[in-house]
Amino acid sequence: MNNNQRGHAMIELAACAGLMVACLAGAFQFGYTFYVYNQLVSAVGNGARYASGRTYRAASPKDVERGNEVIRNMVVYGDPHPDANSRPVVPDLKPDEIQVKWNFATTGNTSAPESVDISILHHQVNAIFGTFNFSGRPAFEFPYLGRYAPSESEK
Amino acid sequence: MRVSKSERGFIVVAMSVAIVLLLACVGFAFDFGRIYIARNEAQIYTDSAALTAASRLDGTLDSVRKARAAVEHLPGSWNLGTQPFKGIVTEFSSDGMHWTETPEKAADSAGPWTYARVSAPSNDLGIIFLRAAGGPETFRVLAHSAARSDPARLVE
Repeated sequence: MNNNQRGHAMIELAACAGLMVACLAGAFQFGYTFYVYNQLVSAVGNGARYASGRTYRAASPKDVERGNEVIRNMVVYGDPHPDANSRPVVPDLKPDEIQVKWNFATTGNTSAPESVDISILHHQVNAIFGTFNFSGRPAFEFPYLGRYAPSESEK
Repeated sequence: MRVSKSERGFIVVAMSVAIVLLLACVGFAFDFGRIYIARNEAQIYTDSAALTAASRLDGTLDSVRKARAAVEHLPGSWNLGTQPFKGIVTEFSSDGMHWTETPEKAADSAGPWTYARVSAPSNDLGIIFLRAAGGPETFRVLAHSAARSDPARLVE
């Protein structure tokens, strides 16, 4: 092996390995982000299904907010009443990243919700080699099918 | 280490082959990942749409019109939440077996129309990498759900 050839293999390997590592990093980044997004889709869908069948207690705004908290827990932990050791179904997902929006009929004199929207307000996926932000998605709307418990003034 | 003339550049050749294979694997994973997510999104959307339609049904033709309008106005998107659903088909049935899009024209139009089925039949997902390996340009993501009324619940 002469001087020109010395280390040739090492340089070739370094150049090709760099490209390969970049490919693997990209594969991991997109693969992990897709995995997390799919988990988010399932979590939001399950939360929306749960919200659509839950009793809507409208005795006071506090009752409504308490109900929303339970729905957020369902999305984040897959459990409406998680214990202290519960882990989110999606890494780093927090209840305050979930939006619960009740839609009411514009006509008629009923105050029962017509449907419920559950969406991700903002969630950042940390895929080590890069981050992806999801705002307002995934989002699903389900019809409200649960029992309506009216406020005192509506009784 | 001695490298003969015939062995020079072997790593470049070997790595080139490996990178092509690696890129193919990454491409498969990327496209199948998107297809899998789109299927999940479409299935949840049709579940919601079928329940929405069923919740409007009371057996009459008027409720069929309301159910159809409710599904048309139901928001929903797929392909990582970037595209709205198009070409949604809403069908109705009185027994959960014989379905029609136009109950108004059915022989037994009196109903009672108590079942609704929603299909998302035309969500064509553009394929990016598999195309290079001879795969299709698009992949059709299908989803359908059926629900019955009183109380509204999914049956399919």
